[in-house]
Amino acid sequence: MANNMSVAEGQKQFIVVKIGSEQYGIDISYVDNIVRMQKITRVPKAQSYFKGIINLRGEIVPVMSIRTKMDLEPDVFTDVTRIIILKLEEHGVLGLIVDEVKEVVTLGPDEIDKVAYDAKNSKSNFINGVGKHGEELISLFDTNSIIDESENA
Amino acid sequence: MDVSQYLEIFIDETNGHLQNLSDCIMSLEKEPENMDTINEIFRAAHSLKGMAGTMGFKRMQRLTHDMENVFQEVRSGNMNVTSGLVDVLFQCLDAIDAYLENVKESSDEGTEDNEAIIQELNDILAAGTGNAPKTEEKPVPKEEKDPVENRFQKKYLDIDFSEKEKEELRVSEEKGMKLYGITVYIQEDCLLKAARAFLVFKAVEDFGNILVYSPSSQDIEDEKFGFDFSFYVASEAELDRMLEVAKAVSEIEEVIGEKVNYKELTAAAAKKEEEEAAAAKEAEKAQKEEHAGAAQAPAAAAQAKPQAPAAKKQNGGKPVTNRTVRVDIEKLDALMNQVSELIIAKNSLVSIGSTSDGGSSSNSQAFHEQIEYLERITTGLHESVMKVRMVPIESVVQKFPRMIRDLSKKLDKKMELYMTGEDTELDRTVVDQIGDPLQHLLRNSADHGLENAELRRKRGKPETGSIHLNAFQEGNNVIIEVSDDGNGIDTESVKSKAIERGLITPEQGAVLSQKEIIDFLFMPSFSMAKQISDVSGRGVGLDVVKSNIEALGGDVEVKSVLGEGSKFIVRLPLTLAIIQALMVEVRHEKYAISLGSIETIEEIMADEIKFVQAKEVIHIRGMVIPLIRLDQLLDCEPAEEEKESLTVIIVRKGDKFAGLIVDELNGQQEIVIKSLGKYINNSTKIISGATVLGDGEVALILDVNTLF
Repeated sequence: MANNMSVAEGQKQFIVVKIGSEQYGIDISYVDNIVRMQKITRVPKAQSYFKGIINLRGEIVPVMSIRTKMDLEPDVFTDVTRIIILKLEEHGVLGLIVDEVKEVVTLGPDEIDKVAYDAKNSKSNFINGVGKHGEELISLFDTNSIIDESENA
Repeated sequence: MDVSQYLEIFIDETNGHLQNLSDCIMSLEKEPENMDTINEIFRAAHSLKGMAGTMGFKRMQRLTHDMENVFQEVRSGNMNVTSGLVDVLFQCLDAIDAYLENVKESSDEGTEDNEAIIQELNDILAAGTGNAPKTEEKPVPKEEKDPVENRFQKKYLDIDFSEKEKEELRVSEEKGMKLYGITVYIQEDCLLKAARAFLVFKAVEDFGNILVYSPSSQDIEDEKFGFDFSFYVASEAELDRMLEVAKAVSEIEEVIGEKVNYKELTAAAAKKEEEEAAAAKEAEKAQKEEHAGAAQAPAAAAQAKPQAPAAKKQNGGKPVTNRTVRVDIEKLDALMNQVSELIIAKNSLVSIGSTSDGGSSSNSQAFHEQIEYLERITTGLHESVMKVRMVPIESVVQKFPRMIRDLSKKLDKKMELYMTGEDTELDRTVVDQIGDPLQHLLRNSADHGLENAELRRKRGKPETGSIHLNAFQEGNNVIIEVSDDGNGIDTESVKSKAIERGLITPEQGAVLSQKEIIDFLFMPSFSMAKQISDVSGRGVGLDVVKSNIEALGGDVEVKSVLGEGSKFIVRLPLTLAIIQALMVEVRHEKYAISLGSIETIEEIMADEIKFVQAKEVIHIRGMVIPLIRLDQLLDCEPAEEEKESLTVIIVRKGDKFAGLIVDELNGQQEIVIKSLGKYINNSTKIISGATVLGDGEVALILDVNTLF
């Protein structure tokens, strides 16, 4: 899918989501599915940023609150809240709760700025670039660091 | 020559022969005079040699050949079985095993010549028989060359042609090809008949096309034939050349054939049909006997021979084996997943059925009947699929007697292994992984458990130590016990070791229970051995055993009496995927508890709860059972007020009990276990998985074994 015909060489597609007041981009090649908010079953003793698990057509999918992981205020579920299902090789599937899904954008290499790694700011550790789409700025998630075990609570 | 497709059969059969050899040599060591065992070994070695030769594994062939030589001499009474010989034989087996491992990995036997072993074999042979070692010696293995000519009949004349085959024969003849009928007899001790047949076909096909097979080529490939097969070939070459190449394939006893023509064949076939319709069986038999005498009888006469005797011979020739199919475990997993989905779907129907009261009552009656029907089918299907995946643990434990024998020599202790319940069945994936832990426990018993002979005598125990391996089924679990009558675990010395290593303070040590002390043995790199031997003592062991078994959803328990012996009890789940569970609710969260571990369910009054050592217990039917409040354990919101009456589920692990307090019971259900995945930290292991309920909701599965 990454080599979609409409995507020119070096370009990447991102799903733009809203978390709090910021816009974030998730590399579309990792996205398996987007589902509506549903009942999440709490798992006792799990990491605090794991809201629990959901049933996705018979599959058990763990759901993570990216807000908790990034030290933001807790999720408020509305009717535009969605769960982005990420499919990561080797690690299986994982759900991320986002406030809203906006659109899909295509960014070329010159539209993405790398961000400097700041070890003190755990929040920026999840971002590996900032995309410029028209007037708007989109923080691009580093998918692999999201699933990293380190607890930032 | 392409023999790769027979590689799997070869590996399988070689394994079987190796195991057989190992068992036989073990018993030979005990009764060196037993002729039956010696013959059995000879046969197995001979078969191994033959198979290795077929597959082109020259080194393996050479080794087995020399083994066979030795047994040839033993069999004919020229030499005796000594313990030295047995040792060398075991070395041979290990060497063959190594070849086999190489074959498994790379389809090649490797380059190890094992000259030393061969030399030793030959030395023994020389010493035993008083001859100088003869390298060229070849005790011709059972060459029963008293050729009863008329055993070889022209069976190709008996073939019934289908219309298509007739057509093919006719067309080929019209093209100017010569038609030959050929029957091939394979030696009766041949092991890979299908491979032989394949080689013959391959050789013949260099000359022309094989038009008709009897039995069908599929049957030949599946080894569904006796020791002969026939075929018709259309070729431009001469018959003799073809017979020659066919005979050149090893283990082919005889090849007979002649030139035929289409007209005669079909005429004969037609005639045969008539005769079959008319002639009585008696007459046919007589004719057959007549025919059997005359090797060159005319084709037409041969056609009268009834098919029945030939068929009978085929049945008799093939050893009666279970009809089996090899199935990739992945296919079974896929099947299992689908059955799981089906059960989930069925559960949703059940839940719709129980909630919806719409529709007329007769409709709902029919609906319920159908659901019950569906339930029976899915349960049956599930059981069948599970059974397919079940294999006896025999395949794992059968190598243990040999291992104990070797350990006995190495450690210079006399010991005997007694095994029961080898036919206990477990899920294939469990069986595959249980070998190493069990092996470790046995080594542990042999090395640490059993005392040396002197100490045993002093303690008034029989000099030969005994190790027992018992397997049996208990409810939804399979229990495998490894016990010995050795020293037992010295808890005091374990305790001081733990203190010495700074794991606990002496004060803490004073209050530890025996079980808690024994648990130290399962800690990583905690070894009690004073000396590191290559058998054990490196401290890599019991912790691995424990984690391996826990990974399979089981657990290990130890019982030990100092001076009398210890017993390791391995408990494994019978099935991995689907269990019967009791559904409970705790603060409106749903949990499943495996029925296998539930003993009883009790309603108790809040004031019945007593305190022992500041822990809540109940006293019920003479037992004091500790209580666990699931809501606290699972970090639920605290309840507003304590209820008067509490529902307590009494669960059991071995001989320990615990009472779980839950809010609500939701009945029993068949659930499909799904993993939580790797992301969620589940170090406490209280939650062993999740399951999808009929209404799509997710419930967590509690592993009560972790609560003890």
